[in-house]
Amino acid sequence: MFVKEKKGDLLPYALILPLILFVIFLALTPAAFTIVSAFFRVQLLNPPTTFSGLENFKDIIANREVMSSLANTFYYIIIGVTLSTILGIFFATSLHRKFRGRSIVIAVLILPWALPGVVSGILWTGIWDANHGVLNSILKSLNIISEYQVFLGQNKFMTIFAIELVQVWQITPLTTILVLAVLQNIPDEIYEAARIDGSTGAKAFRYISLPLIRPGVAIAVVQSVIATLNIFDQPYILNGAANTGNSLAMQTYAVSFQNLNFGQGYALSLLITLFTLFVSIIVAKFIYKKIEY
Amino acid sequence: MQTKKHFRNFGVAFLFFWSILPVYWVINTSFQTDAQISDVPSNLVPPTPTLNNYRALLIGDGELQHLIRRSTLNIFIECISATAITVGLASLAAYAFARMQFKGRKFFLFIVIMTMAFPTYTTLIPMYRIMAMLHLVNTFLGIILCYVSGFLPLATWILFSYMQSLPSAVEEAGAVDGASRMQIFRMIVLPLTIPALASTAVITFLFAWAQFIFPLVLASDESTQPLTVIIAAIQGRHVVPYSLLSTAGVLALSVPAVIALLANRFIVSGLISGSVK
Repeated sequence: MFVKEKKGDLLPYALILPLILFVIFLALTPAAFTIVSAFFRVQLLNPPTTFSGLENFKDIIANREVMSSLANTFYYIIIGVTLSTILGIFFATSLHRKFRGRSIVIAVLILPWALPGVVSGILWTGIWDANHGVLNSILKSLNIISEYQVFLGQNKFMTIFAIELVQVWQITPLTTILVLAVLQNIPDEIYEAARIDGSTGAKAFRYISLPLIRPGVAIAVVQSVIATLNIFDQPYILNGAANTGNSLAMQTYAVSFQNLNFGQGYALSLLITLFTLFVSIIVAKFIYKKIEY
Repeated sequence: MQTKKHFRNFGVAFLFFWSILPVYWVINTSFQTDAQISDVPSNLVPPTPTLNNYRALLIGDGELQHLIRRSTLNIFIECISATAITVGLASLAAYAFARMQFKGRKFFLFIVIMTMAFPTYTTLIPMYRIMAMLHLVNTFLGIILCYVSGFLPLATWILFSYMQSLPSAVEEAGAVDGASRMQIFRMIVLPLTIPALASTAVITFLFAWAQFIFPLVLASDESTQPLTVIIAAIQGRHVVPYSLLSTAGVLALSVPAVIALLANRFIVSGLISGSVK
């Protein structure tokens, strides 16, 4: 119902005004700031601010730490998106049919999503730690290792995997929820028809569920890409000062707020933003297809 | 049929333990002494459960206790204020978008949705510089404004989708009875929107509670730093033993954990309507 009002009706504008002010001054203005400043030399300790063209971008490309964090972020994304998507589909499939206690399981499912990244980092320190971590204890009890191992901060791939697993723990609930929502919209008749034709279990999953959950998976993958591309809290807590497994987001923070080279920080932020939008659109284009029943 | 059931049971059991074991482990650790934590093999339950870590963290006049108490108060101030302002402003805007026709409606809606796609780094550095210009660095107001700007688009979107799906017959009856549009909003639309308001409030509160990089940048000392930032700071010091750190972790997770377990239905419906556009 749209209430048609006479011309010059100001009420709707009054209602959206606070929202629009927030969006203009604390979202669009900062975004424009980032785009423009990426082409300026902005160093707080070394003014003045001057136009510098592509200088910031050249500096970034020449900076080996930034480039290695870019490669690391690529690993974070690959590991995180793959694992959270597979786990999410697996969990959603397990929760598809009603069973006793399902609402409790869904409540528990949400738990890791609700926790701050910092807290998850603390939790998983207790698992990965080299001196008292429970993983070391389990592996030793099973005689798989004879000495406690260092999982974080030595081997780059092990470090990235261990840190990303913490993030997977946190983002899989959202993937599960999004896939489950789509899964529950698939009409039962389709499974019924397939059953009569002899397709059940794995076959029904492969040929009915999997193609039909694609829109949900697409949205989930976009969310996971954005989360993994911006990973910061978990490596900050789990790996602290160590450079092994530094993410692009950590590098941007260090360049901007530790080296106080805001120009380069802006340039990096702009690249992260563009990359996020680009990947989101590509993923959405490839996986997302509207399903009509 | 039988294998299918086994598959599902395995999936549910795996999901359950995968989600809860890390949380169990930190709680288990928080009730042990520092020496017990280093036992090989690790203790699956606290051998002699002790509240000493909680006492050491919360009671007393030391610097650590002061930091923990202060930052717990701060995080509540920031989360509750940000949630109240976000839900209030979002419900007004959502009502206008869902129920009124006006010039620029589509345009404004588009801008709001567009900002939802910005990753953290699009706004982080300029946000800091804007707050510095306004002398709002290290103030509650600065942090709360920053949170509200981040959560408002999503909150508006969730409430807008929900209000749009409400049947308008009751409101039309209200209009016929001569109620003004704001009366209709207060007395008819808002009460019907309670489930979505709950979703929005819970999700906004949890997002605010989880914030780290924005307060890390915007809060420069303990007068405004939330619990998450303080935990990261004491973790970085290395002199604080893991027994105390895990206890601080339990404090910081207790609030979102209780909310997640009690309000999961609102979270699920909010997440679905917030992501599916």
